[in-house]
Formats: sequence, structure tokens, C-alpha cells
Amino acid sequence: MEINQAQKPFVGSKISDESFITLFMVGVLILVFVIASLVVPNFYKPQNIFNLITNNWYVIVLGIGVTFILITGNFDMSVGGNVALTGVLSVYFCQGVNVSQNPLANGLGLPYVVAVGLALICAMGVGAVNAFFIAKLKVPSIIVTLGTMMLARGAAQVITQGAQRNTSLPEAFGVLGSIGIPGTSIRLPLLIMIALIILAYVFEKKTVFARRIYLIGANPEAARLSGINVSKYLTALYILSGLLAGITGILLASEFKAGVSSRAMGYEFDALVIALLGGVSIAGGFGSVLGMFVGAIILSVVTSAATGLLLSPDWQYILKAIVTFIAILSQRFALDKRKS
Amino acid sequence: MEPTENVLEIRDLVKDFPGVRAVNNVSFDIKRNTVHCLVGENGAGKSTLIKILTGVYERTSGQILLNGEEYDPHNPRDAKNQGMSTLFQELNVVDQLTVEENLSLGVEETTFGFMRKTDKTNKMINVMNSIEPSIKPRQLVSTLSVAKKQIVEIARAVAADSNIIIMDEPTAAISESEITRLFTIIRSLREKNVTVIYISHRLDEIFEIGDYVTVMRDGGHIETKPVSQIKDRSELIKMMIGKTVFEQYTPREDDCLDTILQVNNISNHRLNNISFNVNAGEIVGFYGLVGAGKTELARAIFGADNYDGEIIFKGKKLQPDPEKAIAAGIALVPEERRTQGLFTILTIRGNVPVMNMRKISHNGFINATKERNAALEYVDKLMIATNSIEKEAAKLSGGNQQKVVLSKCLFADADLLMLDEPTRGIDVGAKSEIYSLIRQLSKEGKTIIIFSSELPEVMNICDSIYLMYDGSLRTTLRNGCDVDSENILHIVTGGE
Repeated sequence: MEINQAQKPFVGSKISDESFITLFMVGVLILVFVIASLVVPNFYKPQNIFNLITNNWYVIVLGIGVTFILITGNFDMSVGGNVALTGVLSVYFCQGVNVSQNPLANGLGLPYVVAVGLALICAMGVGAVNAFFIAKLKVPSIIVTLGTMMLARGAAQVITQGAQRNTSLPEAFGVLGSIGIPGTSIRLPLLIMIALIILAYVFEKKTVFARRIYLIGANPEAARLSGINVSKYLTALYILSGLLAGITGILLASEFKAGVSSRAMGYEFDALVIALLGGVSIAGGFGSVLGMFVGAIILSVVTSAATGLLLSPDWQYILKAIVTFIAILSQRFALDKRKS
Repeated sequence: MEPTENVLEIRDLVKDFPGVRAVNNVSFDIKRNTVHCLVGENGAGKSTLIKILTGVYERTSGQILLNGEEYDPHNPRDAKNQGMSTLFQELNVVDQLTVEENLSLGVEETTFGFMRKTDKTNKMINVMNSIEPSIKPRQLVSTLSVAKKQIVEIARAVAADSNIIIMDEPTAAISESEITRLFTIIRSLREKNVTVIYISHRLDEIFEIGDYVTVMRDGGHIETKPVSQIKDRSELIKMMIGKTVFEQYTPREDDCLDTILQVNNISNHRLNNISFNVNAGEIVGFYGLVGAGKTELARAIFGADNYDGEIIFKGKKLQPDPEKAIAAGIALVPEERRTQGLFTILTIRGNVPVMNMRKISHNGFINATKERNAALEYVDKLMIATNSIEKEAAKLSGGNQQKVVLSKCLFADADLLMLDEPTRGIDVGAKSEIYSLIRQLSKEGKTIIIFSSELPEVMNICDSIYLMYDGSLRTTLRNGCDVDSENILHIVTGGE
């Protein structure tokens, strides 16, 4: 019997698969950045590097919720629609009552703080609807969230009559999106993103809650038989993801001083792509917020380089597609290689 | 070629697994166009033998002659091409396709990519008709009963000119009248030049359908005889268990008197009005053959499945919810290690504490040191063979994986530990380690319930044994006094 020959087990000294993937993607990021710096003038300048991070704050915020949901083995495709809906609602709730002939200028006249609170509740409501169908009725999450994606955007379109609402807004409306550290170009949304990333990182690494998210994704049946209330955790995560979409929607609406029904079109896919770029497994049970963040910067470098090369938007898509595809393939290849 | 009298001749067949000889020098012949039954307890070596015949396993040594010629399939497709078809318990039909499409699956012929109705398909449909005219070729397979799906599979095997069809417990999931129909079909196969190797735990069926019977025990061949020469089922049972001595069990000195678990009239889709009590500190065994309802009973007590009736643990009524069962002090080592017990993509460290995160955390935050120490402690305690607690559970051997699952359950500090097939598919060494662990736990005052389809296992460690058949509790035995393994086998194979 060869079993009792076990040496004294040691605490692993080699890095985990998760850190390996994150570091691998940092390597990819550096490579992409160097290439971009070689072909695009001024790409390496600090101001541009700063922009690479700030310009994508919204996708990163959405990516946090999407990443945790992916780790449970589920999808959230409703975030983009939810951003649009929340933005529109935050406008509608605080627009003046009967101030104009134009119906798009009339709202509920609530104080801005109340409007924000209500809009966030609605955003979490979309998450709750997702959770109800996915956790309680066991409908596949991709179907449910594609449904709520269209539902949320449809509601935004009804409220804006297919366009936008941008008049008769209170003074306070534009504050959140434009306030920042004086003398710098650092704005509140960026600070919120940084705070959320740090919070999410600590949450992911340190809490029992997060550990159970991984367990659910690794094996839902074993998780249930280990006493984990799977639907409770899914419900909390979808509501959290809804909340993050809500925050994003309110900040974007404030920044542009408008609630636009077509806002955040396709963001759900960007959030998914950066998570996958960051090494999150589409099958669940594996991935990290930090990886997603690296993935977001990779995507940002590619997009920005494509713009810098003066490629037409049509070609930008193709370039993005190719880089994303190669990056994810090489990452999977590297992980397989390491495991065998 | 002149057909040989024996369709299959097995000579000195041996199959070794690490630590176990699963098939030990087996030799016997199977006569052409007969129904040849294969019986034996779980672990007797039947499945391994079948897996060698169907090309799933490579033999270690020995010879097999099919139609007088050397037969050595390298994979199941190879076996099929040489005339060996199998009807598995998990049927191999595609529900979303029609009967006709299922029949031609894998042998389709096409013109410009379009499927063509060929002679082959027509032949299959004819065979289908001759066996069971009520099944229509255009019918969707999903609309058929399990029994009729079996018939579709049989037709496919017959039409593919199989010499031998192996049937593994074909009556386990079908009704009485369907069994009668299946037997008629099996008899008719003899005229179609097909030999059937029939495996069943229901001994009565062997007398009804079998021409010959081969008995296996502990990997060895015991006897091959015409069924007509066997007096009754008790003679068969004697051959199956032989003179196996169930040593090791020593009746406990202290009496366990406090009732910890009361199960009152539990029923669900697989369980039929089950009631019993378990005393604190006892080791209780539930023994029955595959499909007797043991797993379903374990899952009901743990709250993983719904049930009617009442379960009282430590004086309180249990809700059917695993989370609450664990909180009340019950842990379950599930039947399927990889799919229900283990988080295979996580490390040992990640697996051990999951049923009791409170012990390694404070206010919802994990204490990394406590977590590591917990894993190290259990790797040490259960002698899990690994070089690191950061090893992925998927990469451990079966026995070590089971020890990780056990660690998980022990870490929950449960008072009642339920183990469903705790030693299935693991080597002898790990097995005996698990047995001594169970005894140790019982000494520490834990209550243990073992659900097993291996008789020596329950005879070896359990203080009392419940026998199950077809979702019902049949008899209770006190180990050490009124235990008669012949009688036990009689009961769990459906005898009164």
C-alpha cells in the first residue's frame, strides 16, 4: 500500500493558480502596453496612463458584481440596461413638477437625495427580480438576465420616450459626477471605483461570505450538502450587482446632466469580457476582482491604442476582438499547461 | 466458419488494481444462444469482469475467446464492433431524437450531407418491429417508458449483429408487467442468435429467465451451472456468500440507551413508511442492495430531499434543510464523492472547513492561520497522503479524496455522522483506516449511521443492522447475536 508514505505536508509555497493567472495577465498588459507605446505617439505619457484607468471606471464598477456572479457559475447581463434605467429614473424623480409643456421636462419634483435613494432601490429591484427567477425558480441566469436587460432598457425608453431627459434639474444634480479633488483631474466616480475595488478585494480574500461564493461555483450540489443556502447567496449577489449598476447609472447621469435611455449600451458585454480577460472562469469557482481589474486595463489599452491609431470605430471592434480572443486563449493555455 | 459451441470462453482472467485483485483467475464458458446469469455480492468482481468484456478496462492477464478467436477489445466501440453490446442501467438513447434516428445513430449514411434511409436503417426498423411492434419509428424517444427505451437499445444491438448482449440490472427501474414483457423478448433473442449475459440482484429472476448461472465471490469464480440443477435461492445464496467469516466485530460493552434520533413514518418517492430509533453512541448500519433506498433515506434524514413524516433529533423536530441539519449536529458523507462531497477544483485547505466556517472565522472574516491549521490537523489526523494542503482535491486518489470529505464532516463537530457508501471505490488500506476511524469516533461518543451495499462492511463495524429492500425497512438485527448472512441475503434480495 503506498498510502502511508506521506511526508509531513507543508503549507504551499508556490503561488496559487489564481495569482498565477493574474500575474500572467499583468504580463499580457505590459506586453500590450509596450506595443501600443511603440506604435502610438505619446502613449506612454503619465496623463495617458491615468486616462486608461479613469476612462473605464464604470465598466470596472459593473465588473465587480459581474465577477462575483460569474464565480458562482452564473451570468448577469442586465447591468447595462440597469445603468440606463437608474440614470433615467434619477433624473425623472427630481425633475420639477408641471414646469413645462414638454412632458420630458416634467418629473416628480423630489429632492435629489430622495431621487438617488429611490433610483438605487429600483436598481436593486432589478437585481431582486433576477434573483427570484434564478435562485427560487431555477431558470438559467443567462435567460433571466437577458430578459431583465431588455426590460430595464425598455422602461428607460418609455420614461424618456426613446430619447433623454435633461431639463428642469435641480442644482445638486450635476454635483456627484463632477466633484473631485481640487487642482487634479481626479473625480468622485474614480474615487468610488478605487474604494469599491479595495472593498471587493478585502471581501473576496477575507470573508466567509466570499468563500461560499467560490464553493457554490465549484460545486453547487456539494455546497448545498455542506449546509450552504445557495439561493440566499445568489439573491444577495444579484441585488449587489444591481446596486453597483445603480451607482454607475446615477454617477453617469450626473456627469452628463441627463438621463439617456441608450446609455451604457453593451456595457454588460464589456463587463463580461474584462472578467474573462482577468481569468475568471466562465464555469464558476475561479477568478478574482484584481484579475478583472487587470483585464479592464488591458481592454482599455487596446481601445485607446486603436483610437490613437486613428482607426475607424468599425476597425476598433475587430482589433478589440482579436486581442481579447488571443489573450483569453493564451491564458487558458497557460493554465492548462501549469496544471498538467 | 463453423460456429463454436461456446460463444465466449474465459481463461485464467486476472485484473489487478493498485492494492486489490478485483478479478482472480476466473475461467468459465458461456454457451451460444443462452441466457447466462452472473451473480455475486457487491464487490464480487462482476462489474470488473463486465468492464473487461466491454473494453473499459484492460485485463492484467488471461485469455478471452469470442467465437473461438482471441478477443481483446481496447475500448467500448471496439467491443461493440466485435459483437459485444451492453445495456447499461443508464440508458444510452437520445431523448430528443426519434426511435428511427436513435437506431441509426452512429451508422448514418449521407448523401451531400443529408441523411439517407439505408438498408441498415430499414433492417433496424424491421428488427424493432419484430421485437416490439407498438414502438413506432417516428416516435420521439422521450415519449417512451424506460422499458421501451431498453427495447430500442436491444433492437439496436440485435440489428448490429451482436453475438452477446450484456444486460446490467435491466429490471431495476421498470414495472412488473414490463418485466414480463422484457423476459419474453429476452427469450426470443435466443432464436435471433444472440447470447444474453444477465446481471441482477433479484435472485428470483434468475430462476425465471436464466439457462446458466455463474456465481462470483471476492473476485473469484465459484461455480457455473445450468439453472435447472440449482434447487432454490438458498443454494444460490450459499454459493454467493460461501464461508465468509465476518470477524472483527466485538459487541460493545456499554449499552447505549438515550435515543438521539427518532424517524417516524418517513415516506417519499423512493421510501415507504420508514420508522426507527437510534441511540446515542451507537453504530447503526443500513444494508441493502443497489436501489434499495439507502441513499434516499440518508438524504431524507439530512434534509436534502423532501419527505412526509417526522424526524426528531435530540428532542427537536428537524426541518428538511441541510443547513439546519448541520446546525443541529448532523453531517452526511454523501454517496457520490466527486459530485456531492468534494469541491474538486479547490485545494484541501479550501475543502476541510466548509461545513463549519465559524471555527475558522471571526465576525465573518476568515482567520488564515486557523484555516491552515485546520487543514494541517486533518491531513495529519486522517493520514491524507499529500505533499501540501494547497493540492487540488481533484488530484488526490479516491481514498484520499474520501478522507478529505470525511475531514469536512468531522470538522462540522456533528453528533450524528451519516456515511453513505463510505468505502466505495477505495483501496483496502484506506478502507481499514476508515473503519478504525469510525470505531474511534464511536468511542468518543459520536453516533454513526452507515449506509452500505457491502455486507462485510456493516457486519464488521455496526452494532445493529437494518435491512432494506425496495424502499422499505425489512428487519432489524443486533450484530453479534442473531446474525445469519444467508438469511440477510435472502431478505435483501426480496425474500420474505
